[in-house]
Amino acid sequence: MERKNAPPEFAALMFTVNLVILLFYTSTVFVTTARICRSFHAYEFLSNVREMPGRPWEMPVRSLIPFALLTLLSFGKYRWNLSGKNWNGILCVTEIALCVLTVASLNFYYSGLALLVLSDLTHYIQNRRVRLGFIIALSLLFALGRYEIAFSFTSRVPFSTYLNYYSQSVRGYLAGIESVLVSLNVLLFVYDMILLFTGQKEENVRINRLNSQLHEANRRLRKNAVELERLTETRERNRLAREIHDTLGHTLTGIVMGTEAVNALLDVAPEEAKRRIAVIHKTAKEGLEDVRRSIKALRPDGLEKRSMEKALEELITNFHLTTSVEIDYQQCAGPLSFASDEEDTLYRIIQEGMTNSVRHGHATEIEIRITRDGDLLTVSIRDNGLGCAELEEGFGLRHMEERLGLLGGSMACGNRNDDSDDEQRGFYLIASLPVRGREKNEHD
Amino acid sequence: MNGTRLSRYAAFLLAGLVCLAALPFFGPKDTVIRIGVYSGSYWDTPNGDCYQILDHAIRRFERAHENVRVEYVSGITTDFYSEWLSEQILQGTEPDLYFVLPEDFNLLVSCGALAGMDALMEADAEFDASLYYQPSLQSGASEGRQYALPHESVPTIMFVNKTLLERNHIPVPDNDWTWDDFYRICAQVTNVEARRFGAYGYTWLHALYSNGASLFSRDGSACYLADERIQDAIQFVKSLRDLNGGYQVTARDFDLGNVAFRPFLFSEYRAYQPYPWRVKKYSSFQWDCVSMPAGPHGDNVSELHTMLLGISSRTRHQALAWELCKLLSLDEEVQKELYTYSRGISPLRAVAEDAEIMARLRSEIPGGEGLGWEAIGEIMSTAVSAPRFDGYEQALMMAESAVSNEMAQEQARGNGLAAAQREINTFL
Repeated sequence: MERKNAPPEFAALMFTVNLVILLFYTSTVFVTTARICRSFHAYEFLSNVREMPGRPWEMPVRSLIPFALLTLLSFGKYRWNLSGKNWNGILCVTEIALCVLTVASLNFYYSGLALLVLSDLTHYIQNRRVRLGFIIALSLLFALGRYEIAFSFTSRVPFSTYLNYYSQSVRGYLAGIESVLVSLNVLLFVYDMILLFTGQKEENVRINRLNSQLHEANRRLRKNAVELERLTETRERNRLAREIHDTLGHTLTGIVMGTEAVNALLDVAPEEAKRRIAVIHKTAKEGLEDVRRSIKALRPDGLEKRSMEKALEELITNFHLTTSVEIDYQQCAGPLSFASDEEDTLYRIIQEGMTNSVRHGHATEIEIRITRDGDLLTVSIRDNGLGCAELEEGFGLRHMEERLGLLGGSMACGNRNDDSDDEQRGFYLIASLPVRGREKNEHD
Repeated sequence: MNGTRLSRYAAFLLAGLVCLAALPFFGPKDTVIRIGVYSGSYWDTPNGDCYQILDHAIRRFERAHENVRVEYVSGITTDFYSEWLSEQILQGTEPDLYFVLPEDFNLLVSCGALAGMDALMEADAEFDASLYYQPSLQSGASEGRQYALPHESVPTIMFVNKTLLERNHIPVPDNDWTWDDFYRICAQVTNVEARRFGAYGYTWLHALYSNGASLFSRDGSACYLADERIQDAIQFVKSLRDLNGGYQVTARDFDLGNVAFRPFLFSEYRAYQPYPWRVKKYSSFQWDCVSMPAGPHGDNVSELHTMLLGISSRTRHQALAWELCKLLSLDEEVQKELYTYSRGISPLRAVAEDAEIMARLRSEIPGGEGLGWEAIGEIMSTAVSAPRFDGYEQALMMAESAVSNEMAQEQARGNGLAAAQREINTFL
């Protein structure tokens, strides 16, 4: 809740004008009382008013102290950041009480202070209904505070009686000052209200415009993402088709034709058939090599050249360097040497998990832990991000699950604080994978 | 940073306020009671040390109350006293307890400057209202509430020029004389060519009190200007005036010994009758005084003026102020000193009718006849103090102008007064 539209200088100006008005009334009464006594008109004055005026120091002290507190409260509530529902009520009631106290101490000579408090509270209170309540209450105070009305309830010496002590010209001069000051206060109030309400209108229009722009951009982004995915899929399919056609197709065709020939030659020329089978074996082996090479081409770069450990460390370091997310990486699973499809899956899960944490969860800290229990390898990834209100498996998670499923593994994920023994917010992902170890025949 | 600086200022401000508020507690330990008093005599008569009574009372009060000091500002003349008191009230520095001149009582009550005393009187077991002459006590009341206690009373009495009466072979009238006696003597004495007259300064207001009438109701809600008895009083004063053949009698005529009667304050009698003051004024003729003449419906009643003591409604020492007020008003020792240092009559029955005091007074006055001191009790208990209420002066002014119109007309009786009464009632 911050002070909008009205610069503090403006509020300060209003407070200054009101202080000047207060000083005008109190000092006029004070000085006039002293002059009346000095010129021996006290008895006459008393017979005119037939009221006992307060002690001369009472009016300045009793009106300026609550006014000072009001000023302190008015500016202080923004400084000390006193917000919240409870504070709101206390502050508003206190401010109005101080206002009433000041006006009453001034013998109701001046009630424009209500406008000052009204302006102050209108900026402060955002709730429309409460604001309307205060507007009505303070307007009543302003209207009833005119001393002609208030005087029917209290018995005080009217300000005009003090003015009547002076000669015509001085009286006119003082009344002039009074009316200029009071009107100035009203003008400032009206100006402040105009600023507030036009400002609010502009703000609303701007917010609406930005909102519709944002919606449009989001829609376009979603469309583009779908388009891009379809495009990528098509390209990949084409490449796979080409690869299969070029390598496997060629080899298998050779093998099919070779075995047909062997079949024919087996009885006629067993020696020749044996030679052919050797060729077919060589072709199949070459084909296998080719397939392996194609698969290799599909493998992540990181795994292409170095060991799993190095690849993961590099992945995490790079991720940390590019996103500056703090990553706590604990590898407690001994040497990481598995079949390449397993390594791929492991690599992809960690890569995808970290990406998700940052992209969807806006996490700043990620904890990655790899453990091994016999043949069961477990990867757990936890972050301190937003988590997700409702788990929607996007492509990433579905792919991970599919990849794990192919290898007989499983995956669990969700919000951390859904778990009873974890109270932190964030997202967790636990993948379990039975490993076979690096197969011997792969090296053959 | 700004926030901390602001809160530091706030802390300083708060500390300063606390110090200011605590200041009175570290001042001098003595409680100071201030009393407002005038110098000289309110009754316009010379007297000796005007502060003697007060000084003695203060000494006794301070002895009875430890750590209490009583202060007063001396040298404020009676003429200036009302203005001084008003200034003190405006400046908020009025004394805790002060003397209230009879003519200021109304104003001070309607301003709310005087504290109501009913609660104090009721709570105080020592206080007994029946010790006072009721008219004296009543002058400190307004609209049924007591705001001041009487300190000294002075009734109006009638001065008689004995020399003039003797020259006309008329005996000095008794204290139970009537309007008829009064008129008869005036008619006998008056000789316009020789500039000798019956009475000076006897107005319809004097007359109406002694005719059993009252101009206003006690609470000031009604005016009885058209009352039969008041009309009688007006007619009586008019007939007295008609004796003078259009000549306006002045105070100088009386001073020269050419007027038989003049209503005066009792203090004047006490001041100028004994030596040495009797040589100063009215030395060209023998004089004495009697009570006011009684009208057909009334008694020998005169108007009473009472000096009052009131407590400020803003005093912080109300209990002490009440004690001191009681001492000055209700204490017999203090009241007896009135007869030494002032010229009035004590509002206390026991003091005013004390045999020792009477004997002393009688010895002061050569001859000692004239007004019997025993008559004082009678005069004091029947005297009338004009009702005091807000707007009294204004209403009285309206009544006076109506009466002077009435008196200016030859034959009209009552019509103008009834109209004026309606007007005044509307005002009230």
